[in-house]
Amino acid sequence: MEFRVWRFNPESDSEPRMETHQIEVSRGMMLRDVLLEIKRRDESFAFRHSCGEGVCGSDGVNVNGRNRLACITPVSELKAPVEVRPFPGRPVIRDLVVDMGQFYAQYQAVEPWLKRQEPEPEQEILQSPEERARLDGLWECILCGCCSTSCPSFWWNPDRFLGPQALLSAWRFLADSRDQAEEERLDALDGPYRLFRCHTVMNCVDACPKHLNPTQAIGHIRNLMLKKSV
Amino acid sequence: MRSQVRPVFLELTRIRLPVAGILSIAHRVSGILLFLSIPLQAALLSLVLSGEEGYRQAHALFQMLPVRLALFLFLWALMHHLLAGIRFLFIDLDLGVRAPRYRQSAWVVLLGAPLVALALLPGLL
Repeated sequence: MEFRVWRFNPESDSEPRMETHQIEVSRGMMLRDVLLEIKRRDESFAFRHSCGEGVCGSDGVNVNGRNRLACITPVSELKAPVEVRPFPGRPVIRDLVVDMGQFYAQYQAVEPWLKRQEPEPEQEILQSPEERARLDGLWECILCGCCSTSCPSFWWNPDRFLGPQALLSAWRFLADSRDQAEEERLDALDGPYRLFRCHTVMNCVDACPKHLNPTQAIGHIRNLMLKKSV
Repeated sequence: MRSQVRPVFLELTRIRLPVAGILSIAHRVSGILLFLSIPLQAALLSLVLSGEEGYRQAHALFQMLPVRLALFLFLWALMHHLLAGIRFLFIDLDLGVRAPRYRQSAWVVLLGAPLVALALLPGLL
């Protein structure tokens, strides 16, 4: 089966190029195994990976035009020639390794931790099963970046628009019964760019390997903003 | 010395746009078309209202194939923008925002708009 991978070595290349490999595929093979085979042939080939089972979120790449995790993408699902490129819109450090700094900065900007006004209690803060259920579909995010790097608004304004991942995380804490910083969080999301650059393109929902729904989370934030303002 | 060259992959033709994304870009294109059609519509209206001769000229204009094609294009733009706008309103109301609904509704709008435009076209000629 034919695979074409994006190659760029900052020390020797001035332009990126596509490199073709013929690789024998076997049953149950994932795209990550193919990338590992390419690395066996040429150890200068660089890509990130770790757990190999869609939990760590390291090996997000653009496969035949779609952002996916290589480790949970069966080769049998792909149409040859398979073209593997780095995430769109991110500066490439080498081959498939991109600089995700901006993405993490946006995640940090939503202050993804519980904030309390009241003094910290002696024991844990209890939640009802219903309150806990509100966090389902939010906490599962693994920060792989498939969503934000497939979002046109994030391509054009990665510094001013938070992107689907950070906004999903923002809602994860707004929806948490233990968090007490609702007003502060909503104020920080106001303005024409940070949240409202979302134009409901929904590429993020298509791209998410964990089947989460940032568009719905963004809608919930908008509704909450509306409720607070009337 | 470490090189600071950092290329960016953003070739839009090589990135597969999902159906909801295609609907979204078509929403923008149709919006621009509708905006651009305003002076043409105003000119046409003023021609029709200028008298019997003007009305006849406008009628003759509508018999020309390129004009009919343009009319279909603007009618499609109107229908697409209207239907896609209603779809966006539903999604804003948290209706049909989950898979596979948002994809299905995108298909309905993308295929429905030209069909509705085609159905309405004879009424304008």
